[in-house]
Amino acid sequence: MSSITQAERRDITRAAARWLALLDAEDCSEDDRARLAHWRSSNPEHEHAWQRALQLRQRFAGLPSALSLAALDRPDLGRRVAVKRVLGACALLPAGWLVGRQLPVQAWTADVHTATGEQQRMPLAESIELQLNTDSAVNLQLAERRLTLVRGELALSAAGDQPLSIILPQAVLTLRDAEVCVRRFDGHCRIAVARGRVQLAASAGASELLEGGQQVSVSAGGLSGWTPYDPTLPDWRQGVLLADNQPLGDFLRELRRYRPGVLRWDPALERLRVTGSFRLDDTDRVLALLAASLPLSVQTRTRYWVSLAPRQENA
Amino acid sequence: MTDAAPATQQNLHTLYRDHHSWLQNWLRRQLGNTWDAADLSQDAFIKVLTSSQNVADIREPRAYLLTVGKRLLNTFYARRSLEQAYLDALQQLPQALAPSPEQRWALLETLQALDELLDGLPLAVRRAFLWSQLEGLGYRDIAARLQVSERTVKRYMAQAYEHCLLLELA
Repeated sequence: MSSITQAERRDITRAAARWLALLDAEDCSEDDRARLAHWRSSNPEHEHAWQRALQLRQRFAGLPSALSLAALDRPDLGRRVAVKRVLGACALLPAGWLVGRQLPVQAWTADVHTATGEQQRMPLAESIELQLNTDSAVNLQLAERRLTLVRGELALSAAGDQPLSIILPQAVLTLRDAEVCVRRFDGHCRIAVARGRVQLAASAGASELLEGGQQVSVSAGGLSGWTPYDPTLPDWRQGVLLADNQPLGDFLRELRRYRPGVLRWDPALERLRVTGSFRLDDTDRVLALLAASLPLSVQTRTRYWVSLAPRQENA
Repeated sequence: MTDAAPATQQNLHTLYRDHHSWLQNWLRRQLGNTWDAADLSQDAFIKVLTSSQNVADIREPRAYLLTVGKRLLNTFYARRSLEQAYLDALQQLPQALAPSPEQRWALLETLQALDELLDGLPLAVRRAFLWSQLEGLGYRDIAARLQVSERTVKRYMAQAYEHCLLLELA
C-alpha cells in the first residue's frame, strides 16, 4: 500500500471521481463500463479508490431528501459565499476533520424505499405487485409472505390463493386475490380496498372483512371513518392528484408530500377552493397552475424553499 | 521521532502563550461575543495540534492562526445557518413525515458533516451534486434546472466527487 506516493494517490482519486461522474451519466455506454472494469482490475490501488468513491456516495444514500435538501441547499447559501469572500479565501487545512465520523445511514434505510417525489412499481413475486408512493418505505419478508409499511403509502395487488400479510402499527391485513392501498399517518392508517376482500385484524381487537369499494381508518382505538372508495378515479398510482372543490390548505398538504424542500403558505389562503386533476411528476407546474387560477403568488427563494402569498391586486 | 514530540509540545506551548489572547480578541470582534470566541480560539489551537503542519515550521504564526480562525469562523456560521434551516424545515414538515426525536439529532449531525464536506464548492456544483445524490435527478434534469449543458453537469459532478474524496484523503 505504501508503495505509491501521495501525488499518485491523488491522481488515482481524481480518476475515480471522473469514473463515478461518468457512470451516473445517461450517456454512459457499455464500452465505458467495460473500460471502468478494466481500470479497476488493472491496479489494486484503483480498486481501493473506487471503493472509497462508492462509500462516499453511500453517505448520501437513504437520507430523507426533503429535510436534507432544505438544510444543505438552504436559501442563505449565496449569502454565505459573500461572507466568505469578505473573510478572505481560506486555505484548506490538512486535518483529520472528517475522519472517524460514522454516519447513521442505517436509521433511514428499509428494504425498499422511495425518495420524496419518487414513485416505484415493482413485482415482488409472481402475481404480486407492489407500488410505493412518494417518501415511503417497506420492509419485506417474502419467505413469510409478509411486508411491513414503515413509512408512507403503498398499493399492493395480489392474485392467487396464497395469503399475503401487510403489517401496520395498529393492524394486520391479510389478502388473497385483492388489491389494496394503505397509507400510514401519525397514529393511524387509512386502508382502501380497490378489488377483492381484505381481512383486517386490529390490535385493538376488532376484526373486519373489508370489501372492494370500502375504505376505513384504523388506530389504536379501533376502526373509524368508513367511507365508500371509488377505485376508478385516478390517484397517485397513475401519477395524478385530484381535487374536487377541496380547501387549498388540504390540497397543499397533499402536494407537499411530493415535493422535496419547504413549501409554505399564508394562512389566509387555507380556505380558497381548488378543483382539477394535477400531474404529480411536475409540482412546479402545479404551483404555476394554482397561481394562474387563484389569487395567490408563488415566491421562490430556492427550488426547495417556496412560499405562497395572497396576490397584491393593487401592486 | 523520539525527540520531535517534546519539541512540538514546547512550540505549541509558545504559540499558545504568545498568540492565544490575540486570536481570541480577533474572534470576539468578528463574533461580537466572548463565549463563542473562547470556544473557537480553543478549537483553533486543537486544530493546529492535530494538523500535520509542524508547529516549528510556522514562520508567520499570526497569519497562520488567522487562517485557521477564519476557517473555523466560516464553519461556525455555516453550522448555525444549517441548523436554522433544518429546524425551519422540520417545523414545516407534516408530522407524519418528520423523523423521530432521536433521529433528529443524529440527522443534524450527519447533515453538518456533509455540509462541511461540501464547503468550498461553487454553488452550482454543490447544487448539481445535491440534486443528484439526494433527489436522484439525472444529468439532463440537472442541466435543465441550472441552464447549463449536460457535459457541464458531468464536469460539476466529477469536481464534487473529487473535492470530497480528496478531502477525505487528507
